[in-house]
Amino acid sequence: MDFILEGFVKAVFLLIRLDAATFTAISATLKASTWAMAASLTAGLPMGFVLGYFDFPGKRPLRTLVDTLLALPTVSIGLIIYALISSQGPLGEFGLLFTITGIAMGQTLLALPVIIAITAATVENIDPDLKLTLVSLGAAKLNIIRTCLWEVRYGIMAGAVTAYGRVLTEVGISMMVGGNIKYHTRTITTAIALETSKGQFADGIALGLVLIFIAFCVNICLSVLRKK
Amino acid sequence: MTRTDPAYLLENVTYLYGDKKVLDIAHLAIAKGSITGLLGPNGSGKSTLLKLLAFAMRPATGKIFFNGRREYPFSPNIRSRVTLVTQKPYLLRRTVYENIAYGLQIRRDTADIQTRIRRALARVGLAYEGFAHRQWHALSGGEAQRVAMAARLILKPKVLLLDEPVASVDAQSAALIRQAALAARKNWGTTLVIASHDLAWLFDCSDTQISINNGTLFSTGMEIIIPGPYTTGRQGLTKILDNSQCIVLPPAARSGKAAIIRREKIHLTTGRETDNRYDNQLKGQIQSMHMTGKQQEIMTTIAVPEMTFMLGLDPELTGSLLLQPGKEVFLMFRSQDIVWR
Repeated sequence: MDFILEGFVKAVFLLIRLDAATFTAISATLKASTWAMAASLTAGLPMGFVLGYFDFPGKRPLRTLVDTLLALPTVSIGLIIYALISSQGPLGEFGLLFTITGIAMGQTLLALPVIIAITAATVENIDPDLKLTLVSLGAAKLNIIRTCLWEVRYGIMAGAVTAYGRVLTEVGISMMVGGNIKYHTRTITTAIALETSKGQFADGIALGLVLIFIAFCVNICLSVLRKK
Repeated sequence: MTRTDPAYLLENVTYLYGDKKVLDIAHLAIAKGSITGLLGPNGSGKSTLLKLLAFAMRPATGKIFFNGRREYPFSPNIRSRVTLVTQKPYLLRRTVYENIAYGLQIRRDTADIQTRIRRALARVGLAYEGFAHRQWHALSGGEAQRVAMAARLILKPKVLLLDEPVASVDAQSAALIRQAALAARKNWGTTLVIASHDLAWLFDCSDTQISINNGTLFSTGMEIIIPGPYTTGRQGLTKILDNSQCIVLPPAARSGKAAIIRREKIHLTTGRETDNRYDNQLKGQIQSMHMTGKQQEIMTTIAVPEMTFMLGLDPELTGSLLLQPGKEVFLMFRSQDIVWR
């Protein structure tokens, strides 16, 4: 048990000393996850709204597909993205393999089904009287979409936090697509995996603490927004 | 659009829920600036009609003209003119101020907005200082309904549609909502269409009454609908009210029709008659009596099991029979005066 306590102590030192390897991993994680969340929210919110709000042929199978993609293993996504951006793949010429952008692409694919599924479920549960109220107040179609999304913002925010949790803690994509290159594409999770395999628990625990701290900050922000 | 065009003209309008036809209106005209009372039992199609008039839904067939022009949902011509208040209004997850401001903000008509919100709240008896910054969840049912009403009144609508606006609110809120609705016509010439179970108010304030049952309109409001289910027994076709009373009906030409009796065919007495002129003699109790300014009648609501009858009585008759709320009375009518429509 001593090595765990020792790990905690060392973790605090690493963070206080602003250890370069630790902080580049934190930076890589934040960059990749921010890009991934921005892209998945931009694409996922409208897709989720359409899926939840409108009735169209093929809606049910599409919902089933999105729900299935929720359980997509990160290594499978890593494999798909690797195949797409490796030198032999269709996007090989862009040189995205072993880059933060490549990791962000994979993480976008990971977060997208979560955003779509939770937005669709939230929108489906909108009170039917809301639309009637908006129509009776003279809202145009675009006003209705905007106001409906605003009315269910907490549900969607909960979806975004869930997706962020998946993105932040995944290892498979970052390892396969990023290559775990020190000072470049090493993220918090790949670093933890590596340090633990080397027996360097302190580094692993330090990075683990940072992950928990980021998750804590996101939830505090969400809580403050809800109160407003 | 001409000055003589009615506010609404509906021609051959139907509406379906799935395969079931819930509204079938061959012709309906509603005059500008009028107050129309919609009467009918629950599930008769009143709310569906109001939603169509609010252009919140598209009819399955037929045409709806507004001010002489055929209109559709989201048309810019109706968006700023027609508004609907429902029985349980939805308030946006915002403050009272933001709820009332919403309609003006989407029209980009925000000049002097605070004063207008203050005035709109005052119209429904709510003080700006006490309510403007309250959240939607910090309101009682009556206050929420009044805020919903204020959110519509601030738009100075050409048409105000009210779907059971006072059904689930306290007496004070109900009085303020009624007062605000009638003030809209007085101040801005607003056309009102009101569906309410408060028959006394409806008869008192409305220029025209329309009865509706099974999605079909009866134009005058003078009819009383005897809703189904109808039962065939020893006495023939009947509407069973309770263990001791039933209404004897004439044979129905075909199913799907409603039994209707005109108000003037019903006689009211304080005792049972022994001759067999009337094969229907229903025992009931007077619920309310209300003097109407327009017809110089006393609108009297009589409750019998499962049904309410609203009769316009001559003041002399009510005096001679010493009628008063709570008194037991008998409603007499002949089954042959009941028609199927």
